[in-house]
Amino acid sequence: MSQYAMVIDLDRCVGCHACAVACRAEWKVPVEEGYRRNWVKRIGPVATPHGLSYTFYPGLCNHCDHPVCVDVCPVDPEERTFKSFKDGRTKKMTIKATYKEPFTGIVLIDKERCIGCGACVEACPYHARYLDETLDEPKADKCTFCFERISRGEVPACVKTCIGDARIFGDLSDPNSEVSKLVKAGARRLESKVVKIGPNVYWKGKKKDIHALMSAFAPMEKTWEEVKNGPDRLRRSLIKALV
Amino acid sequence: MKRRDFLKFSASTALALAALDMDKKGGFFKAATSYAKETGSLPGSLGAKEVPSVCEMCFWRCPIVGKVKGGRLVKIEGNPKSPANGTRVCARGNSGVQLVYDPDRLKYPLKRMGERGEGKWAKISWDEALDEVAHNMDKVRKKYGPHALAYFDHGASAEFTREIFKALGTENYSSEPAFFQCVGPVAIAYLNTMGFVVSGTRQYIDMANAKAILLVASHIGENVHVSHVREFIEGLSKGAKLVVVDPRFSAAANKADIYLPIRPGTDTALLLAWINYVIQHGLYEKEFVERNCIGFDKVRAAVKDYTLEWAAKICDLDVKDIEAAIKLLAENRPHVAVHPGRHSTWYGTGDVERHHALSILASIFGAVGQKGGIYFPTPVKKAHAHCAACSEEHEIEEPDVSLRDNFPFVEPLPGTPTGAIIEATLTGKPYPIRLWGINGVNIIQTIPDPYKTMEAIKKLDFIYCEEMLPGETAIWSDIVLPSATYLERYDALYAYDGLTPYLTVRQPVIDPPFEVKTPYWIAKELAKRLGLKCFTCENEREFIEEELKELGNSLEKLNQKGGLITIKPNPYRSPDKLEMPTESGKILLYVEDYEDEDLDPVPRFVPTPAPPKGYARLIYGRVPVHTFSRTMNNLWLHNEWPENHAWINDQVAKKIGIKDGDEIVLENQDGRRSNPVKAKVTPGIRPDCIYLPHGFGSKSKHLTKAYGKGASDQFLITKTVTDPFMGSTSKRTNFVRILKGEKALEIPELRPVPKEIPRFELKRA
Repeated sequence: MSQYAMVIDLDRCVGCHACAVACRAEWKVPVEEGYRRNWVKRIGPVATPHGLSYTFYPGLCNHCDHPVCVDVCPVDPEERTFKSFKDGRTKKMTIKATYKEPFTGIVLIDKERCIGCGACVEACPYHARYLDETLDEPKADKCTFCFERISRGEVPACVKTCIGDARIFGDLSDPNSEVSKLVKAGARRLESKVVKIGPNVYWKGKKKDIHALMSAFAPMEKTWEEVKNGPDRLRRSLIKALV
Repeated sequence: MKRRDFLKFSASTALALAALDMDKKGGFFKAATSYAKETGSLPGSLGAKEVPSVCEMCFWRCPIVGKVKGGRLVKIEGNPKSPANGTRVCARGNSGVQLVYDPDRLKYPLKRMGERGEGKWAKISWDEALDEVAHNMDKVRKKYGPHALAYFDHGASAEFTREIFKALGTENYSSEPAFFQCVGPVAIAYLNTMGFVVSGTRQYIDMANAKAILLVASHIGENVHVSHVREFIEGLSKGAKLVVVDPRFSAAANKADIYLPIRPGTDTALLLAWINYVIQHGLYEKEFVERNCIGFDKVRAAVKDYTLEWAAKICDLDVKDIEAAIKLLAENRPHVAVHPGRHSTWYGTGDVERHHALSILASIFGAVGQKGGIYFPTPVKKAHAHCAACSEEHEIEEPDVSLRDNFPFVEPLPGTPTGAIIEATLTGKPYPIRLWGINGVNIIQTIPDPYKTMEAIKKLDFIYCEEMLPGETAIWSDIVLPSATYLERYDALYAYDGLTPYLTVRQPVIDPPFEVKTPYWIAKELAKRLGLKCFTCENEREFIEEELKELGNSLEKLNQKGGLITIKPNPYRSPDKLEMPTESGKILLYVEDYEDEDLDPVPRFVPTPAPPKGYARLIYGRVPVHTFSRTMNNLWLHNEWPENHAWINDQVAKKIGIKDGDEIVLENQDGRRSNPVKAKVTPGIRPDCIYLPHGFGSKSKHLTKAYGKGASDQFLITKTVTDPFMGSTSKRTNFVRILKGEKALEIPELRPVPKEIPRFELKRA
């Protein structure tokens, strides 16, 4: 089974924000506080044990192996048949409104069925999702690794525009892919002792920069109970009752 | 001879001007022939109609494709045919979409109703607007003479109307902050040593193939020019060593092998000590220097007392670090990219000298014409249509006293120092200036001392501008002409003569909205009203076709090839066949012409005054998502970076009780205060500097997103020193302290100033 992944090379990144803007343009992401599928955050200049660092956190959805956002989705599962865009194979699977696509490992949202409850938005330890309330009916939204583009033979919009060629995209299940090689060579992902849900975005770079990134943007730590019984639990059950 | 039409210059100067992109051509339109038609209803930007064109969100001008769906521009990408950027564009390039659809855009010609600077307008017709501009130009010219007209310009939109000012006979036909507040010193330094503008609009420096790179306060990555950044990254990824000299730990400094946090204003001391070290230790390319350089012995003699120990004290650096850095660079000669720099109007005194020193260092490393060094532009054949300018040659009659007289080396370049124009406007001396035309430049946010600029504007009989957005320039104008964006017009063929040369053309992706007109149309209409025979083609497309025809091409053919033709580069020369575009064919390490004007023929270190007690030096730079003040109102770019922060050294902040994120006000040596701005507390800046990214703090209420966001560095730059070579004005000669609440906080001096450096004296009331 494939697992698409991205490696971001901080040595090639200059923090220009082209990725974030190209993504917004490609997917018409509204300009509202916290609305983004793809972002660049600046870190430092800050002292690290390996020297002064002024680096960046170019981030997007991690398309995790064990996505919490999928776990918390309250929408009733439904059976769907998926088709591989690579070889046309099909597979049946029961999915909620957000799910892990079986042939690519990409986490997607079924906008038709999303009830806009925001549970996934709150659960994501990477703040990779937002609730689009500019719509008549709010829907969760996030990076899709440009599923619609890659399934048509195109590269993700952020990869296409990256001026330093810092974003490497490919299939981790292929040991010869560039991403596999970079991961094998030590590219790191954002995890903590508590949060280990198998993110599939990796960063590589100087020790100091990786240290600064890991320190500044460790995943949000919440227990499963906190995620399940978050402050908006009541609102979510109300929305569900209305649906 | 004082005044010459610059097009009549020698071959070497023509090359220099080509490098500065000052060779002008003109422009107009009709829907472009696209090479990819819109198909179906695919998601995102997939299936859009793609129109090749040229970006102008900044002045690097990357080839792009505009993607159109249902008549609306939905996305911009790099032109895949481009050898320079391929499918890539930066954040600003991506955001051209929001320039076009900015709801604050100027839509109709406007006439000022309130006071200048108030921004109260009435909508008028094009006929009224053009009649009024032409009438005032004619009236002022007749009453006060041609030189009473002055034109401030920048970018492609400004080039046609520049021809009108030239035709009207003013010497002040091109006053570019892009030159007099930016590249002037570096351009002049290299023109006089190497015979061409190694750094102007472009920087001909082969970082992609360098084994070592030296950056002196070049913030590549914060200053984003796509192919330039790509060459920098390519060089580093292939293992080039990087030395960065900068008072601030920039994005480029983060990638350095050796970072030297130099005391501001002492770069030339470091460079001269390095040159001396290289000569003393025999670390230069002897054969290259003997064959290709003039004045080596004079340089050797002039720099002999500049030791590394002396430089370490002056520059506040560790002598071991500066020795390691120069060894690292020398080891890799001749494949060393000694970056010439770009923005160079820093201290007024010593700016040309600093870049002259850089050119000497590159030359003695033999790093000229070699892989990894300074390279030669590849000439790209261009054509000149009959109607891209005026039909007749207009001689400009020199005034008795020219505003350029005091600046002996401004000569090969067009234009008058902006500072001299403002002074003459205020004083009427040596002659009156009573009308300003402004095109493509925010003169309030780019020329130092905006308070003085505003005073000068109040004295004018008439001021008009051609603009896309209602920024400061518009609110200070009597008439505002709404101009098409680069995405809405044909305007010229674009030749790139760098490492990856190409020829392409700007063509409209969409039509101009509302009553917006193209710069060619506006210039044509003005010329008609002034009785000038200029711009006789129907539109831009006609003359572009004429030029392409001369090159054996056509728009249709070009578009079939993706709108761009690549050209084989020719950047390198064998060191024993090097022929510089100077009179002697050699590099002038020692510039005799300078001596004739009582300027230093070999650079000498002249310190710039250190901050007065209690103050830090104000330094500034760019953020990667903005082009000066031009892009601050762009929906997407504003969203990425809505306001700037003042960088303050962490130890200084601790001593005066400032925390990261605190709201502060900066007050300069003349008591001028900034907008409130947030403090960014970091070890990544020297204790004697405060850094404020440029372009923020808009003063125009009509820019609804940008207005009042962040603090303007420009409004704190009130003290300038004028460069004696070409009249540029310094921007790093101002000092600030911090106000928190109403309390003034003195900046403690954590790095003592040696006695060799004088201290700036505060005017005490």
